[in-house]
Amino acid sequence: MTGVRSGAVTGQQEVEDLLREFAPQVLAALIRRYGQFDACEDAVQEALLAATRQWPGEGIPERPRSWLLAVASRALVDAWRADSARRRRETAAALDPTDRAPAAGLAAHLIADLAGGDGDDTLALLFLCCHPALSPPSQLALTLRAVGGLTTAQIAAAFLVPEATIAKRIVRAKQRIRDAGARFELPGQPQRTERLGVVLHVLYLIFNEGYTTSSGPVLQRADLIAEAIRLTRLLHRLLPGEAEAAGLLALMLLTDARRAARTDADGRIVSLADQRRDLWDTAAIAEGQAILTQTLGSGPVGPYQLQAAIAALHDEATSAAATDWPQILALYDVLTAIAPGPVVTLSRAVALAHVHGPRAGLALLGTLDTDGRLAHTHRLEAVRAHLLEQAGDTTAARDSYLRAAKMTASLPEQRYLELRAVRLHQPRPAQQPDQASHRTP
Amino acid sequence: MKYMIMMFGGLGAATQNRSPEWIAGMHQLLMKLDAELKESGECVASDALADPSQAKTVRFVDSAPVPTDGPFAEVKESLAGYWVVEVDEERALQIASRVVGYTEYPMEVRRIMEHSAQP
Repeated sequence: MTGVRSGAVTGQQEVEDLLREFAPQVLAALIRRYGQFDACEDAVQEALLAATRQWPGEGIPERPRSWLLAVASRALVDAWRADSARRRRETAAALDPTDRAPAAGLAAHLIADLAGGDGDDTLALLFLCCHPALSPPSQLALTLRAVGGLTTAQIAAAFLVPEATIAKRIVRAKQRIRDAGARFELPGQPQRTERLGVVLHVLYLIFNEGYTTSSGPVLQRADLIAEAIRLTRLLHRLLPGEAEAAGLLALMLLTDARRAARTDADGRIVSLADQRRDLWDTAAIAEGQAILTQTLGSGPVGPYQLQAAIAALHDEATSAAATDWPQILALYDVLTAIAPGPVVTLSRAVALAHVHGPRAGLALLGTLDTDGRLAHTHRLEAVRAHLLEQAGDTTAARDSYLRAAKMTASLPEQRYLELRAVRLHQPRPAQQPDQASHRTP
Repeated sequence: MKYMIMMFGGLGAATQNRSPEWIAGMHQLLMKLDAELKESGECVASDALADPSQAKTVRFVDSAPVPTDGPFAEVKESLAGYWVVEVDEERALQIASRVVGYTEYPMEVRRIMEHSAQP
């Protein structure tokens, strides 16, 4: 934030940073006053859109939070006026703000609330948006809008779906929150731990959504990663004692550190072993390691901390060959003990193959063939292909890569797998005499 | 005017014996073209479909819909991917020609029906 607040044309990024910071605070202040998450959230979205339109050209107002609050309050009153009959029906017991002071007066009250607004408001919002009654896609969209301060259009661009789809998802999500009778408050124990688990999972999904396909020309995807990290950082700051929140933040930083090396210039996937390690983000790795060091042992060890520790071991290796696989295998053993699942077994098989040879890894994979959750997915087949290649069985590896390529629903992964397959195959140049002329330059 | 430019499943089989360089070149061409069409604003939608071996077909059997494994059509006739582009026919054919020029495998270009009356 700079001191220049008016007159000058303001950078788009500066505006967005401010909006994302203030959005949950403004929303919380409105909800504290009126208790209607649904209507308040719409009003804040309108204020964000107005700011996105006006601030870059006219400059950021002197007191941006108060500005947002005033515009949101006005939007709220307008909405109430337009729909007062419905509102009366829904909140028969509540006060009727349409009889109250006009928007400017409302805002004045609210500014006092804002001053005292603390992190608990943002936390309560996060818990509300990640309510277990919502489907994961709805939790993601609502969290990004209400807590992240993103516009519907931005969320739609990030998820590569039409804006109307996200808008409908959000309407439905808020409807469900109302139907579930969810309240704007911090859940008490014993639900608290379980609800925090859902919040962490939603943040993890936002990160994954950005991470698994953040390649090539789809630049918006990187925004999802940045947003997931920003929100997890916020959560970690608000709940410094929660070891798994810290673990998740470390995991994201240590994983995202490899982003620049994950795809080549053409947007193709580069496997971990083949990545250029000089492209890894050393600052992110250092931060992730520091958080992890502070956290491990401070509370009960959980899956996010363990996955972060594994990511850290990969990041610390100066080359693929220097990777401390025995240590990684030991961590997967712990992970298997506290949070077993087919995906953990899959990763453990890779570690096992590096420590005890590819056949040992393949034997463990065999136990997954009867597991309905993974048996018919490309992930199992892709790992099998890699291990078969490692074992020198190129024919079986090639078949396995091709099977995996047919099974995946991810285009970049399909291309990666097809290429791995054809690399193991001796092309018959005699049968393709004309092929050179069709190559792109 | 909108056109759907369609690619079919047989392309996969046709590439089986190609070299890694050829396959990589095809991936590159498709990604480059997709980026160009999105950049120019000509692309309305584009998607690739998962392999037809993963498809299910719902048939009406004994008075009830029954899903079965596999695509309805022959794999080589099965839709593999498409672009919807807002261009004139000449341009749509030009786009398809760029891909066919490399893959030597046919593509179909179909006009999309308008939702409003023609002016």
